[in-house]
Amino acid sequence: MNQEEKLDYLIAYLKEETIHACSQASVDEKISLFRGLCNVREPIPVSTDFLKIQNQFLSAWNHERPTVSINDLKAAQHQLYIWQGDITRLAVDGIVNAANSELLGCTLANHHCIDNIIHTRAGVQLRLDCYEIMQQQGRKEAAGKAKITKGYNLPANYVIHTVGPFIDSRGVSLLKERLLASCYEASLKLADEYQLSTIAFCCISTGEFNFPNQRAAEIAVQTVKAYIHKTQSEIQVIFNVFKDEDLHIYESLLAKKE
Amino acid sequence: MKKRGDFLFIEKNGDVYTLSMTPELQDDIGTVGFVEFIDEDTLEVGGAILNLEASKTVLELASPLAGKIVERNESVTNEPTLLNSAKSEDNWVVKLTNVDESVFNELEEA
Repeated sequence: MNQEEKLDYLIAYLKEETIHACSQASVDEKISLFRGLCNVREPIPVSTDFLKIQNQFLSAWNHERPTVSINDLKAAQHQLYIWQGDITRLAVDGIVNAANSELLGCTLANHHCIDNIIHTRAGVQLRLDCYEIMQQQGRKEAAGKAKITKGYNLPANYVIHTVGPFIDSRGVSLLKERLLASCYEASLKLADEYQLSTIAFCCISTGEFNFPNQRAAEIAVQTVKAYIHKTQSEIQVIFNVFKDEDLHIYESLLAKKE
Repeated sequence: MKKRGDFLFIEKNGDVYTLSMTPELQDDIGTVGFVEFIDEDTLEVGGAILNLEASKTVLELASPLAGKIVERNESVTNEPTLLNSAKSEDNWVVKLTNVDESVFNELEEA
């Protein structure tokens, strides 16, 4: 065997192993395998048969858990809501994804981040849409901007993708604060352009991007209120939290009426 | 006369206003690896001057002043790290005219 033939043999062997492992796996393990394969999948065209089966599977899988709509929530303040849980359960007009500057979704197999679960549950079409947007743009996505795609198999109609500022060891700076506020403004502006009646924000920049939770929530609430005040927008805004820490922070911030 | 706004220095010489990088902005973005100027010559306040990709962030650089771009520092397109230089002759971005002087005067002193 020459070098190339050796590689062909090795790749075929490893692929065979994966197929064998899959046939032995439980349904949950198969979901992980499927998710992981979608996460690392290149943004290349996909067959209509794949899409048909994928959409059937995702639609059923996404509705195994009860979805949550705005009518299930009680406003914390006029137009403002808090909801704790997985953002992909929200049956609202738009959910906001904390993306990275490649804007193609998380490419780490089964990584526990919001970008990963949103892309997984939406389906491979989401990455294909994002890829097209990025091809047209011709450069990486700047922090503090927003792009919109359909939600595909998610209970939400649209996904707004925004890149938050990354906080390194030097900590939060004025520019980073400004960029975080800009994520909220740009997303709201886009949501209003598309006439979305409800938008759900995740806690942008607070996870992998290290923005301190309290300060991030203050900026989020302040920016959303200022936007609504300035534009008289009637959009309903859900602050979607995942961790208890963020729930307490948002509850305390929205308990104060101004 | 030198002022600052939107993380940039603005130096006024007659009717020409030169925008350049502040040390704070340089620290925030890290080493610049890619720069692409916006083609549009007319700038609004908050309008995009250029897009850059740096080691710590991807950023659209916004203008603190409205005006007309009369010159771009084209050499940063080929050598993006010039924007990391401490010297304003290297790290300037654009030169503007048709700037409202009263708006400039209200900016923070550099």
